[in-house]
Amino acid sequence: MGARDIRIDAVERRFARAGQAPLLALDRVSLDLPAGSFTALIGPSGCGKSTLLRLIAGLDAPDGGAVMVGGAAPRVLQREGRLGIAFQDAALLPWRTVTGNVRLPLDVTGHRDRESLARIADLVALVGLAGFEQALPAQLSGGMRQRVAIARALVTEPDVLLLDEPFGALDQILRRTMNAELQRIWMRRATTTLLVTHGIDEALFLADRVVVMHGPPGRIATIVDVPFARPRPLTLFADPAFRALEDEVAAALYGRVPGSAA
Amino acid sequence: MTATTRRERRGTIAGLILLLLAWEAAGQGGWVAGGALPAPSQIALRAWLDRGDYPAHILGTLRTATAGFVVGSLLAFVLGVAYTRWPRLQRAMSGVDVTIFAMPAIAIVPILIIALPGDAPRVVLSALSVYYPAMVAVVLGLRQADPRLLDLVRVHGGGAVAALRWVRLRGGLPTLLSGLRVAAPAAVLGSLLAEFGSGSSAGLGTYLIGSLGRADPARLWGIGLAATALSALAYLAVGLVAARFAGDTVPASTPVGTAAGQAAGEVRGWVARSMPLLAFLLPFALWEAGTWALRLTDVSEIVFRDPAGVLAHLIWDEGAARNRGDIAAALAQTLPFALAGVALGLAVAFALAIVSLLWPPLGATLLPLSLVTQSMPLVALTPLVVLIFGRDTGGILAITVSVTFFPAFVTIAQGLALVPPGLRDLISAWGGGRGIWLRRVAIPWATPYLCAALRLAAPRALLGVMIAEWLATGTGLGNLLNEARGRMDYGTIWSVAVVSVSVAVALHTAAASLERRVLRRFAFAS
Ligand SMILES: Nc1ncnc2c1ncn2[C@@H]1O[C@H](COP(=O)(O)OP(=O)(O)O)[C@@H](O)[C@H]1O
Ligand SMILES: [Mg+2]
Repeated sequence: MGARDIRIDAVERRFARAGQAPLLALDRVSLDLPAGSFTALIGPSGCGKSTLLRLIAGLDAPDGGAVMVGGAAPRVLQREGRLGIAFQDAALLPWRTVTGNVRLPLDVTGHRDRESLARIADLVALVGLAGFEQALPAQLSGGMRQRVAIARALVTEPDVLLLDEPFGALDQILRRTMNAELQRIWMRRATTTLLVTHGIDEALFLADRVVVMHGPPGRIATIVDVPFARPRPLTLFADPAFRALEDEVAAALYGRVPGSAA
Repeated sequence: MTATTRRERRGTIAGLILLLLAWEAAGQGGWVAGGALPAPSQIALRAWLDRGDYPAHILGTLRTATAGFVVGSLLAFVLGVAYTRWPRLQRAMSGVDVTIFAMPAIAIVPILIIALPGDAPRVVLSALSVYYPAMVAVVLGLRQADPRLLDLVRVHGGGAVAALRWVRLRGGLPTLLSGLRVAAPAAVLGSLLAEFGSGSSAGLGTYLIGSLGRADPARLWGIGLAATALSALAYLAVGLVAARFAGDTVPASTPVGTAAGQAAGEVRGWVARSMPLLAFLLPFALWEAGTWALRLTDVSEIVFRDPAGVLAHLIWDEGAARNRGDIAAALAQTLPFALAGVALGLAVAFALAIVSLLWPPLGATLLPLSLVTQSMPLVALTPLVVLIFGRDTGGILAITVSVTFFPAFVTIAQGLALVPPGLRDLISAWGGGRGIWLRRVAIPWATPYLCAALRLAAPRALLGVMIAEWLATGTGLGNLLNEARGRMDYGTIWSVAVVSVSVAVALHTAAASLERRVLRRFAFAS
């Protein structure tokens, strides 16, 4: 099966709070992610980005509305082992090597066929960790650990890829490199991808569409289409058209009118 | 950093050598209690003369303690895994678990000896002693798994079994092993206690009881030290395995915030409301089921009492009033000592832990000493303390204080070690002195740990008093139990067991609820 579409329909999510009215984390959010598309989700801290991502992953259930992945509940995608996910910090098993950590999804899904196992070495090389296959997480830098987590998210060749600020802890230079690598990996195989990020430039460089959220209560403010053709070169960051789009997203994010003085 | 720890260690070693020299001098001079404290050299000489006796006894204790350790750990593992999977099960079983933890082991020794053949009482009592600390460690280890790793497993379609297999088990291993390390000396103590009144079998407990009448302090000390060495070795052996899996950082005592291995997860509605009742009734149901099971064996029925049988003994049987009177009188002798010992032991521990913050050399000497005494089997300690402090009030109080002081000191000192050093500088920067720092930081910080120590110490104090009563003073519940055993008065044996277990559970419950309140007050609880 190939990439699947994601339909988010009037989703609500409330969290109980001691001694207060429940917190409305998502307020009737609707969003369609076409199969094989790349969407970036951007917004201030606490606006409900991770909550939305967890709903799509089937790690949490909405209080109202529905989330459908490929026309079925997210749990179906889980059960079929067709989902890939990475979080802000790597969350690796400290007792497993790089190879062992990338292998974890295969162990859990039980898909330990030759073809899948062979993919581990390719992915480790792809994220630039050749030579570190047998290293333990404690022996790696933060950026290297994060790349292990990316490789792990990709090892099942998922139909849906969910990335929650995966480069948030990396420095700017490493971040750019990882952006380029992620684009390359993503272009090899169409995967419906949702990237939560704080970086406007990163969102515009990678995504077809940038969804700007406000909140709480979390809701979608604007959706900005990104027209640049792929593969996008790193020089794109300096492109005037790119800069103009950056201003547009920033305005949507901070509520400023484009072009006005700061 | 390394320089200071090395200096600290050198200080500790110097302190211990000084202690040993003082001991030798005191022993040679016969300064303490008219020669009740023999010199180390005299103890060694006696042990050499007795060398023919030791191997069989050591082996007997080692064999049964090992069997008990294995059985208890397995039980703890199976139930710990089940509790992690089904938190409600843990709630329902909490009454049983607390009973196993709090019960003074000695109280059920006569019952075990009546009910079980051969070595089984020793194995069972040592398994029961191991079970609770091991179970708490299993649950703690399995629950502390990284939530994002658990999410990752779920995202890939893995259920509870996959989470256990790929994340929880291996991740919880260091915690689990450090729990087993604490439990290892408990296995030795359980095995020793079950030799009380069992008569024939070979073991250090039997040897100790057999030597009590000879009034040879050097022999008693030799047996005590052998038992201590055995449980220290058990502690070290498990520690060696634990070190291999790193994470050797968990304190040797139950840390704050794990009050009685509280079940996580919310349960609402009528299930939640009926949980405490279920937890309360389950121990009695198991007891009833146990008596039914024993009816199927060929053990004589007259030796058993089910809950109704104990009630009959205390309430409506002929002579019930006298039975009640005996137990009430014994309890009135035992309880004040237990409570006074706890209060005194904790107060001194609290004060010394705070003082050693201001004057570190004190802590550097006391902490290792306290850790060593944690693996000292209470039984072996008791005759020695009684020899020194006498068979009366002083002896019992000395036992309860030593039983409660050392673990409490460890708990509080380890808690205080977690005070961020920056806080002290911050207070100084604001112009605050020692007084402010003590009042505003150290004492509030230590209070939750004091409560944890209270919860752990209260049941131990009762056990300490009862052992002393059984072995030495001839008073209170311990003595009543020993006498009833001699008379084969099964009604009293069962009633004393039930009453002392109930008192211990009540003490523990009161301490745990105080701890919860304090934790909430100091915002330690989530
Ligand atoms: N499990 C939860 N329980 C209670 N509140 C939560 C929970 N998860 C998220 N929240 C709250 O919901 C809001 C949105 O959180 P989140 O989705 O993590 O924001 P973001 O990822 O955009 O920073 C926040 O106010 C957060 O405190
Ligand atoms: Mg987030």
